[in-house]
Amino acid sequence: MKEVSSLIDRILFYALVPSFFILLYLIFIWSPVEKVMGVTQKIFYFHVGSAWVAFLAFFVVGYYSVRNLIKPNMKHFIFAGASAEIGVLFTTITLITGMIWGRASWNTWWSWEPRLVTTLILWFIYVAYLFIRKMDGSWEKIAKLSSVFGIIGCLNVPIVFMAIRWWNSKLHPIVFGEGKGQSGGGIEPEMLITLLFSVFTISLLYVFLMRKGAEIERMRVIVRNQKNKLMNKLAS
Amino acid sequence: MNYLFLATSVVWVLIAGYVVILGKRQKKLQKEIFQLEEWNSEQ
Amino acid sequence: MKDILSDAITIAGKDLSNEFKTKQTIGTMVIFSALVILVFSFAFDPTNNTVKAVIPGLIWVITIFSGTLGLNRSFVSELENNCLTGLRSAPIDVTSIYLGKTLANFTLVTIVQTISIPVLFLLFNYRFTGSLLWFILIVLSGTFGFIVVGTFLSALAANAKNSEMLLPVLLLPLLSPLMIAAVQATTIVLVNEQISDAIGWLQLMTAYDLLFLGACFLLFEFIMEGS
Repeated sequence: MKEVSSLIDRILFYALVPSFFILLYLIFIWSPVEKVMGVTQKIFYFHVGSAWVAFLAFFVVGYYSVRNLIKPNMKHFIFAGASAEIGVLFTTITLITGMIWGRASWNTWWSWEPRLVTTLILWFIYVAYLFIRKMDGSWEKIAKLSSVFGIIGCLNVPIVFMAIRWWNSKLHPIVFGEGKGQSGGGIEPEMLITLLFSVFTISLLYVFLMRKGAEIERMRVIVRNQKNKLMNKLAS
Repeated sequence: MNYLFLATSVVWVLIAGYVVILGKRQKKLQKEIFQLEEWNSEQ
Repeated sequence: MKDILSDAITIAGKDLSNEFKTKQTIGTMVIFSALVILVFSFAFDPTNNTVKAVIPGLIWVITIFSGTLGLNRSFVSELENNCLTGLRSAPIDVTSIYLGKTLANFTLVTIVQTISIPVLFLLFNYRFTGSLLWFILIVLSGTFGFIVVGTFLSALAANAKNSEMLLPVLLLPLLSPLMIAAVQATTIVLVNEQISDAIGWLQLMTAYDLLFLGACFLLFEFIMEGS
């Protein structure tokens, strides 16, 4: 079992390294320069890729939270935690690249645009979720509490998006139009391929980080068990 | 162009930072496990 | 179902009679909201006419700030003398604890609002000209959503040592859609625009209230099991 898991890790790693170089090549050299936005448009590939993984990670947290409530399981608890942490990372990346994008194209660091604000609130929910996991107590207790919060948070995200979109359209008519990337003309096939490849690579990175995170959590459990064992030994 | 450079470097710094943090955590835990196992197997 | 409701009313009655005896929490909440209004009157000059634009926001800021104080006490106070264990071992459905607490908190916050909102209008020299009925409806449905989620998270946060610090961090991101809707609807009513614009926001608030009431109702059991 252990060999298989380390083999998967190795395969993932060796798949990851070349795909990153291919991704860089695709983004910076192969894909055409967009006519209106110029080179800055290339931020888009990182931005969309990490946004996709940020939301995916969130739904993974929700999924394992539901599983955990149905039947408490240490594995599900660990996966939910690892996924939430990676979610924070990619939400941060999405926010920062989104801000740089906004600065480059609309000349403001922050615009109250529904997707950007939803991502920000998602970030806060993730952080709150991690705070709950930092509580002390037995893992069963924390698993229950954090799962409950994960489900509530998942419910909240679509409502946030709707509310902000509505608020925005009332405040000032839609300025940026639909589709963030294509402000002029349709998407070119090269761009689409690059985008898909970037989504693929970042998803691969997510799986890799997820396995690493789960391994670390498992080690934490071992440490705790060993500590208890030692404590009992010293007491007797 | 500058913005593209900025965005790319932010992405890499964050991802690399996270990987380094994970590695550090793992190393620390490995050490702890090692130490604890040693103490547990003593006597 | 009927049992749950009557048990909830009993628990709410217990909380409220306790509160009215000491008047500790409610007194603090009223004073605190008055202080927040005072601080805001320093921040925005009340004699300035443009300040009317921030009044809808202020109503919700004082509600949330003072409400969070009350919510913090709601479950933590039960931890003293192991009252919560007593409640849980009582022959009642656990969800009735949640409903009871929600009712009690809702009553408390509404009482605080009936004092603090007129004070706000008074100190900011605001003459209310909108439709009072709609205004009350919007304030109540916004407050209800806030209390539904707040009571639930206060039970969750009570498990932590630093629950006073944890609760706002958990609560505010979840409240954001409700607050957008509440502030927008309040603005529409206060500046006397067409009520039909506010109805959409009111519907959103109602949907939020019902959705989270249902979700919290179903999930409350797990929180109590966990603690």
